[in-house]
Amino acid sequence: MAMSQRSTIDFNQGWQFMQNGITKLKNILEGTPETQFSSEEHIMLYTTIYNMCTQKPPHDYSQQLYDKYKESFQEYITSTVLPSLKEKHDEFMLRELVKRWQNHKVMVRWLSRFFCYLDRYFIARRSLPALQEVGLTCFRNLVYQDANGQVRDAVISLIDQEREGEQIDRALLKNVLDIFVEIGMGLMDCYENDFEDAMLRDTAAYYSRKASNWIVDDSCPDYMMKAESCLKREKERVSHYLHSSSETKLLEKVQHELLFVYATQLLEKEHSGCHALLRDDKVDDLSRMYRLFSKIPRGLDPVANIFKQHVTAEGTALVKQAEDAVSSKKVDKKDVIGLQEQIFVRKVIELHDKFMAYVNDCFLNHTLFHKALKDAFEVFCNKGVAGSSSAELLATFCDNILKKGGSEKLSDEAIEETLEKVVKLLAYISDKDLFAEFYRKKLARRLLFDKSANDDHERSILTKLKQQCGGQFTSKMEGMVTDLTLARENQTHFEEYLAHNSNASPGIDLTVTVLTTGFWPSYKSFDLNLPSEMVKCVEVFREFYQTKTKHRKLTWIYSLGTCNINGKFESKAIELVVTTYQAAALLLFNASDKLSYHEIMAQLNLSDEDVVRLLHSLSCAKYKILNKEPSTKTISPTDVFEFNGKFTDKMRRIKIPLPPVDEKKKVIEDVDKDRRYAIDASIVRIMKSRKVLGYQQLVMECVEQLGRMFKPDVKAIKKRIEDLITRDYLERDKDNPNLFKYLA
Amino acid sequence: MNKLGRGQRDKLQQFMLITGASEKVAFQALKASDWQFEGAFDLFYSHPQLRSVADTRHIEELYNRYKDPYVDMIMADGISLLCNDIQVDPQDIVMLVVSWHMKAATMCEFSKKEFIGGLQAMGIDSLDKFRERIPFLRSELRDEQKFREIYDFAFGWAKEKGQKSLALDTAIGMWQLLFAEKHWPLVDHWCEFLQARHNKVISRDTWSQLLEFARTVDPALSNYDPDGAWPYLIDEFVEYLNETSIIQKGKLSEWNYKS
Repeated sequence: MAMSQRSTIDFNQGWQFMQNGITKLKNILEGTPETQFSSEEHIMLYTTIYNMCTQKPPHDYSQQLYDKYKESFQEYITSTVLPSLKEKHDEFMLRELVKRWQNHKVMVRWLSRFFCYLDRYFIARRSLPALQEVGLTCFRNLVYQDANGQVRDAVISLIDQEREGEQIDRALLKNVLDIFVEIGMGLMDCYENDFEDAMLRDTAAYYSRKASNWIVDDSCPDYMMKAESCLKREKERVSHYLHSSSETKLLEKVQHELLFVYATQLLEKEHSGCHALLRDDKVDDLSRMYRLFSKIPRGLDPVANIFKQHVTAEGTALVKQAEDAVSSKKVDKKDVIGLQEQIFVRKVIELHDKFMAYVNDCFLNHTLFHKALKDAFEVFCNKGVAGSSSAELLATFCDNILKKGGSEKLSDEAIEETLEKVVKLLAYISDKDLFAEFYRKKLARRLLFDKSANDDHERSILTKLKQQCGGQFTSKMEGMVTDLTLARENQTHFEEYLAHNSNASPGIDLTVTVLTTGFWPSYKSFDLNLPSEMVKCVEVFREFYQTKTKHRKLTWIYSLGTCNINGKFESKAIELVVTTYQAAALLLFNASDKLSYHEIMAQLNLSDEDVVRLLHSLSCAKYKILNKEPSTKTISPTDVFEFNGKFTDKMRRIKIPLPPVDEKKKVIEDVDKDRRYAIDASIVRIMKSRKVLGYQQLVMECVEQLGRMFKPDVKAIKKRIEDLITRDYLERDKDNPNLFKYLA
Repeated sequence: MNKLGRGQRDKLQQFMLITGASEKVAFQALKASDWQFEGAFDLFYSHPQLRSVADTRHIEELYNRYKDPYVDMIMADGISLLCNDIQVDPQDIVMLVVSWHMKAATMCEFSKKEFIGGLQAMGIDSLDKFRERIPFLRSELRDEQKFREIYDFAFGWAKEKGQKSLALDTAIGMWQLLFAEKHWPLVDHWCEFLQARHNKVISRDTWSQLLEFARTVDPALSNYDPDGAWPYLIDEFVEYLNETSIIQKGKLSEWNYKS
């Protein structure tokens, strides 16, 4: 038939032609033997529609064809699809559904190709649903609407079976769930409302049941492992057949039922809960706990809390241990820091390392845990041991590392590491200024008595302290170290001066260390009556020093000097290394054989305390250079002393130590005084800038300002405020006594 | 003036008698206060211009009677004599009120200026008038505002010249005196506490805040704020009261404990 001549197609005729094509299509879908559509057949079908739509009215059949299109689906579904579904159940029903859906999609695709012309003009012009949409909607309304409940239940049942360990057909489920998605035609509402909601509810109920059993039967680590693997499997489930949008919601439900609901019970389980895990160092379990609990809202708070309690308890136990050890030993000198306290500091460092590792590894550096660690350490690190504050303990610990022959014989690296750790501990101590003062005192001893083991280490720890606490903290100490270097240079110049000036001769080998007053701790200088040999030394040095600078005053601190004296004993001569005080006392015996306590005191011009100490070291200690009458173990003002010619020792050179005066009280006094000034300065600073401030606010700002160095006592601040009122820096407001005003 | 009624004329006479003011001044004062005595007195005493010059001569005579032979001041002996003349015990608190009016710098001595100025302020130019004024001066202690001023004044007056703070014994004496007038149940405990625990001088701030404490905090300490800006001595006093069970569960014990 020639195409050019178009005769009007009658509707029924045209439709019959189409119907044949449709029937063919159905056969193909049903699996009935049929040939595939040739391209000619395809074109014919398309053209038929085309023609019937473009005919002149009343023969343009667009509307009817549109309706017929729809009816085709309805008819097929009602006659064939629905019956086939109804007779099947469960998994079989699902399979049938999938098949029918695939078929339907094919049918829609083909038919909409045939009827394509409608899409172009008729549908567009009338703003009607497109052919695709019509086709899919038919399936939705006739099949999906009724069946989806059953389908959903079948799917959920399979999911639960898989949860119980059975093998299921994942591909099938994926296909079924794809239907829910596709049937939404661009929206997820079918999937979410008709499937996901119920699935989530079922999931929650499932895990709720499981959890209620596990929580009773299982230990905390076991429970957590189960929880973790459940979460893993659910996640996999999503990737296998659920829609990706379900992942967050699904996991959240599982987390809620397994973890959130039972969080407290889990953590507090008697022998396997968080406390126990910490106690038994179960690092893996703790890591798992962190991973799991970080997923639930505020889940980590209780864990961090238990961690803090644990660390505090461990630390406090160390303190008690040290206290007990100290009190059980018979200690003669209560103020000397002994071995137990040193061990204590070591153990605290170890504790810190251990729990910091936990924070880094198990708890992945989370701030909550850093804070918990910090809070815990701040609690027990500020408890002293046996009357010594933690500040003092730390300073002594450093001293032992840095001094020659200290109790620490470690490699350079080990020393550096230990110093690093000590400085970190300092951050937890509130009385940092007290530490600074003790450290300074001990540093002075090390530097002046040449007891420092290694200059580099000294500088290194100062750098670390500076980084942690600021430049002001270390400025004096740095000055002290520099002074020593300068002193050595100075000594070289002094020796050159002596070489070039024959009349300037001290008579004995003299080394002088000049210190800058501001940097060093304050020392009382007593007017020791110098032996004549030494008097000349002082003069010679003074003259030399005048040649270098005229604007400085030299104050001699004899209490810090050392002296090497030759003792001519009967059996052999022995060199005695003593302090200047001791040397002065010994030299007295060059002129007199016997001297009483009072005579010695008068000639030396020292205090009772000093005389007792030095005579004790020479007559009642290890080396008896002097004989004492009576030969009791302590010095009394009625004693008489004489040179012990019979003294001897196998060594040719011995050191006779003079135990240092207890500095602890003085240090604490000095620090208290400095604190008073610091508080005053802080109050004045604050009031100067604020002019008028309430009491509470003033105290708060003061505490904050001073917090870097020490924790000021509120009572102390109050006292300083009142002192400043008396000194007319501040006044109370006349109407409100809680308000203070700055007086310019 | 001619139009004064009988009652008013009487009042005028009385006023002149009591204050020693001239008729013109008395009339002014009474008229301004609507012929009420209280108001008129207040007015008169707060306006120095109203006093006439005649008063000063009488007062100077009085001054000379009491002044010390060697120094141009009234010293302890003179004060004893004065007290005798006005029939008042030298330890009587009314002398504090007198000193306050005089703006005396230190206790046990009055400078010429202080004495004369004070008597003028009180409207006294004779011993009779002085005696008559005593009840009124005593009554001033019952005025809340004036008591505070007198109390604050007492600190500067009782302390040694040149010192910033008040010796403890003196302070305790003053407190006993002052709080006998304005009753404060804790005053004895306070004094005990100071002697047992403090034993040092009293600062001005502590002195003035104590009155505030006595006025505002109830004796069972139920409304005491430990975080407030009370001087630390007062904080310690509260601790002392709690420690020694003088205050038990917010109630002031009936009897004293000596711990």
